[in-house]
Amino acid sequence: MSDSESILDQIAEAPADHYRVLKISDLDGDKLLELSQFMHLSLSKEDMLAVQEIYKEWDREPTDVELEVIAQTWSEHCKHRIFGADIDHEVNGEKETVKSLFKTYIYDVSQRIFDSKPGFVLSAFHDNAGFIKLDDNLAICLKAETHNHPSAIEPYAGANTGIGGVVRDILGAGKGAKPIASLDVFCFGAPDTTMDNIKAEDVLHPLGIMRGVVRGVRDYGNRMGIPTVSGAIQFDNSYIYNPLVYCGTAGSIPIRYIDKEVGAGMKVIAVGGRTGRDGLHGATFSSAALDTESHESDQQAVQIGNPIEEKKAADFVLAARDADLIEFITDCGAGGYSSAAGEMLEECGGTINLDNVTLKEPGMVSWEIFISESQERMVLAVKEESLEELQKLADLYETELIILGDADGSGILKVTHHGETVCQLDCSKLHTAPTRHLNANWELTTESVDAPAVDNGGEDLKSLLSDFAIVSREPIIREYDHEVQGNTILKPLAGASGDAPQDASVMRINGSERLMSMSVSILPEWGKTDPYAMGTACVDECIRQMVASGADPDRLAILDNFCMGNPDAEEELGALVETVKGIAAAAESYGAPFVSGKDSFYNYFETEEGPVSIPVTILISGMGIVEDASHVTGSSLRRRDSLIAVIGSTESELGGSVYARQKGLTNATVPGTDMEAAMDLYRKYYECVKQGLILSAHDVSEGGLAVTLAEAAFSGKAGLEIDLSSLPTGEDVSVAAMLFGESPSRLVVEIAPENLEKVAAIFEGQPFAPLGRAAGEHSNLKVTRGDDVLIDEPLDELKSLWKNGLAQYY
Amino acid sequence: MEERPRAVLLKFPGTNCDEETARALEVVGFRTEIVPISSLTTETLDGVKLVMLSGGFSYGDYVMSGRLARLVTEQKIDGALKEFRDNGGYLLGICNGFQILTQLGLLPEGSLVENTSGRFQCQWVKMKKQADSPFLTLLPDEFEFPMAHAEGRLVTMTAEDAKKYRENGAAAMTYNEDVNGSFEQIAGLQDETGRVFGMMPHPERFLHREDHYDPDWENPAGSPSGESEEKWGSGYYLFRSLYESVTSSN
Repeated sequence: MSDSESILDQIAEAPADHYRVLKISDLDGDKLLELSQFMHLSLSKEDMLAVQEIYKEWDREPTDVELEVIAQTWSEHCKHRIFGADIDHEVNGEKETVKSLFKTYIYDVSQRIFDSKPGFVLSAFHDNAGFIKLDDNLAICLKAETHNHPSAIEPYAGANTGIGGVVRDILGAGKGAKPIASLDVFCFGAPDTTMDNIKAEDVLHPLGIMRGVVRGVRDYGNRMGIPTVSGAIQFDNSYIYNPLVYCGTAGSIPIRYIDKEVGAGMKVIAVGGRTGRDGLHGATFSSAALDTESHESDQQAVQIGNPIEEKKAADFVLAARDADLIEFITDCGAGGYSSAAGEMLEECGGTINLDNVTLKEPGMVSWEIFISESQERMVLAVKEESLEELQKLADLYETELIILGDADGSGILKVTHHGETVCQLDCSKLHTAPTRHLNANWELTTESVDAPAVDNGGEDLKSLLSDFAIVSREPIIREYDHEVQGNTILKPLAGASGDAPQDASVMRINGSERLMSMSVSILPEWGKTDPYAMGTACVDECIRQMVASGADPDRLAILDNFCMGNPDAEEELGALVETVKGIAAAAESYGAPFVSGKDSFYNYFETEEGPVSIPVTILISGMGIVEDASHVTGSSLRRRDSLIAVIGSTESELGGSVYARQKGLTNATVPGTDMEAAMDLYRKYYECVKQGLILSAHDVSEGGLAVTLAEAAFSGKAGLEIDLSSLPTGEDVSVAAMLFGESPSRLVVEIAPENLEKVAAIFEGQPFAPLGRAAGEHSNLKVTRGDDVLIDEPLDELKSLWKNGLAQYY
Repeated sequence: MEERPRAVLLKFPGTNCDEETARALEVVGFRTEIVPISSLTTETLDGVKLVMLSGGFSYGDYVMSGRLARLVTEQKIDGALKEFRDNGGYLLGICNGFQILTQLGLLPEGSLVENTSGRFQCQWVKMKKQADSPFLTLLPDEFEFPMAHAEGRLVTMTAEDAKKYRENGAAAMTYNEDVNGSFEQIAGLQDETGRVFGMMPHPERFLHREDHYDPDWENPAGSPSGESEEKWGSGYYLFRSLYESVTSSN
């Protein structure tokens, strides 16, 4: 008899049919691990031994419900144990020990920034989303999540529930924030991937994944009535097996509703959808790698979304909040009721009665009910005397309200079902998982390379504008309702013809004179060779885009969302550590704190040719305060007679750029970010914005200065005449780097001729130079350097390449 | 002080443009109440001048758009909306509201079906006024609104019917270009009384000048304010036209 059969026997011998007591005290480590695998707990041998130890102390055996609860709360998805691990890290031969990446580089850094900006960050890290102060009455928040594994297996439903989940995070932030805008960032394999490049069975083609994911986001976000205003897409073959799907949502809330507390005697209630077998083990599922078998066996872990159910619950929550009927609220996400109730009752303690849960199907056993991740459910703690009013509101908005149990002050999480206690856990024990010990190393191997000569700048530019990294995302953007709620001032598409690119989005906030800017940055190509530089550049780009749109550079907050492959592979973990150090250094330098973050591991796949990991990928998303509607600045050329200037210095490094990839320069040095200099520029730029001196501003990013100029001119108002002779540069900067290099911290700005002197005076002594003018008399992009004509191309031809690049595949 | 005319906005599960539409109505002068459909009774309409049906996805619109909303409305207040209209009341349906008014038979016969692109389309569209309507009096002959729908293609039993709508003034609003396959490029319809109006684009999203995608957007020709620094967008003038019609017909 094999060991797994003996575990099966043990389970078969259990006394009751809705829960079981599992005898684990005598099992050795290997058998414990087998039990973990058999139950899909995703707990390691060490974890299982720790669990065994806890139960030995308590002198009893666990129930299956308790094991499931512990597995959920200790899963990477819920507890982020790699970010809390002790890591022995070696970088370029130097050894160091990192005790908790999260504490060292995210939490402590942010705490120092909070202290330096009192009253700006109102809540961070402990709630569902972090809040910053908008004005004396209102706060705004932002949260981003990944939904990678479900989207790989069932793209439509995976993305659907991804957006649904992050919207619930906002509804469960504070005593209920109102979702006001969403962002979506995806990483896929290239649309033109051929089937023989997919080395595993049952893996969906990138186009199938892309279409499914976009429609999933569309059908949920549009129905919820939340504008999808910001986003990005990266295409790279390393994402064929593990696509990345980031969903983010911003919210607004009256400041008085941010603080929440559960107290003894309160009722715990749930509203929204019913509980079913859909979404079992989602949290533990996403804490393990994918393989072909996942595509067959883990379907159960992917839930089905119902946006109208969530819309009704959202209407209820916001009405209940405004009637002061909510004491505490959180969403039902990974881990279902077990996580939500666990979070709510971890200090206070209380009883949850599973008999009160309304089910989608009969015969569900205790653990299934308690950990089901069925969508569209919110859990609230309320005063008993509020129940009648709450029921009226539930009836009004046609959502189901159930009473789950009571908070009792005992500190014990107790779950009953069919009159029996099926779980009784000391919450303080529940949330202490063993600290992991990991090894990491990273070696920087990039080298300076000679830049290619630019023989035909026009052709190089066309090639860049046709690259999947740069082509217009318009076909996807138009499938999202980006203007519902009527507050999207700076829209994702800009210009006189409404189809030119925009850096950040700006939203009006109901009830305030101030506005919110939102932006995202993701540069995985940089991180392949220099993860630290990727970290600093991502923070810089995210901040720069918000500043460009008119946000105050001193009132920005950011989120970090990591995805990586195998954390047990030392080099991959080393790249993660370096990325974290990069974003931490930049956040501290810019004074832009992290207010929330999330991480996703095990994004690797066992193909026929061995494991394929994604590169360490960091998404930095941000929210910032725009003081006045008159400060809002778009990315698109506005006048036919204006002047064009550049802010920031162009450096020689080409590494990480789209141009370098196209030219096969795979290991070239990646540009660093001079953060102090950059912040100085951003503050000066903001001074110009406040004085009304900037007509438009576009950040220089993928494709470099040439692509930035072309994109600004896609507005359709005029041609451009640019001379690079006075371009501010570092040393030994090639023409290729001037045109196509991606040095951070640069902006192309449009200025009315009469304001040039004022702007130049503000930038006195800084890397700032007028480069040319909008040319109303023609519609070419003409870039020269003295007498050398580098680029002279009709903008309509350039725009057509850029505009149709993705459309033909979508 | 003159009492403001009352509007009620019917909110179905899945209605999601209610707040901004109510805001637009308030800005032009209506006293507006959002009424969840569960609480709708015939008394809801007492003393009301305008019934507003805003955008969204009533009941998810998984069956034909507006279908379930119609069934529920009929179940709750069968015939009351027609009576309301006959007694001089106004009804405005935007996007999903247009789909619902069409389903309820309050507008000339037609159906709003899937766009020819097969996609949801969020974009700004230029439009023309094709007939006099109390909803359009303050708008110039040409104007622009954002649209955002997957099922906005107006089809009629025969192509002739749509032509007739153009001739008899039922098709009060048309797109300048063929954006979704609507017969005769019809964007909005009015009934014979002129007091019932349905349109796919979203005027409530262009209430202020700054809502336009191009910051250098020029004033619509014939803008009644005549100010060089126009504060309002075309949407304001649509709702304001309605307000003036409602108050002058008192």
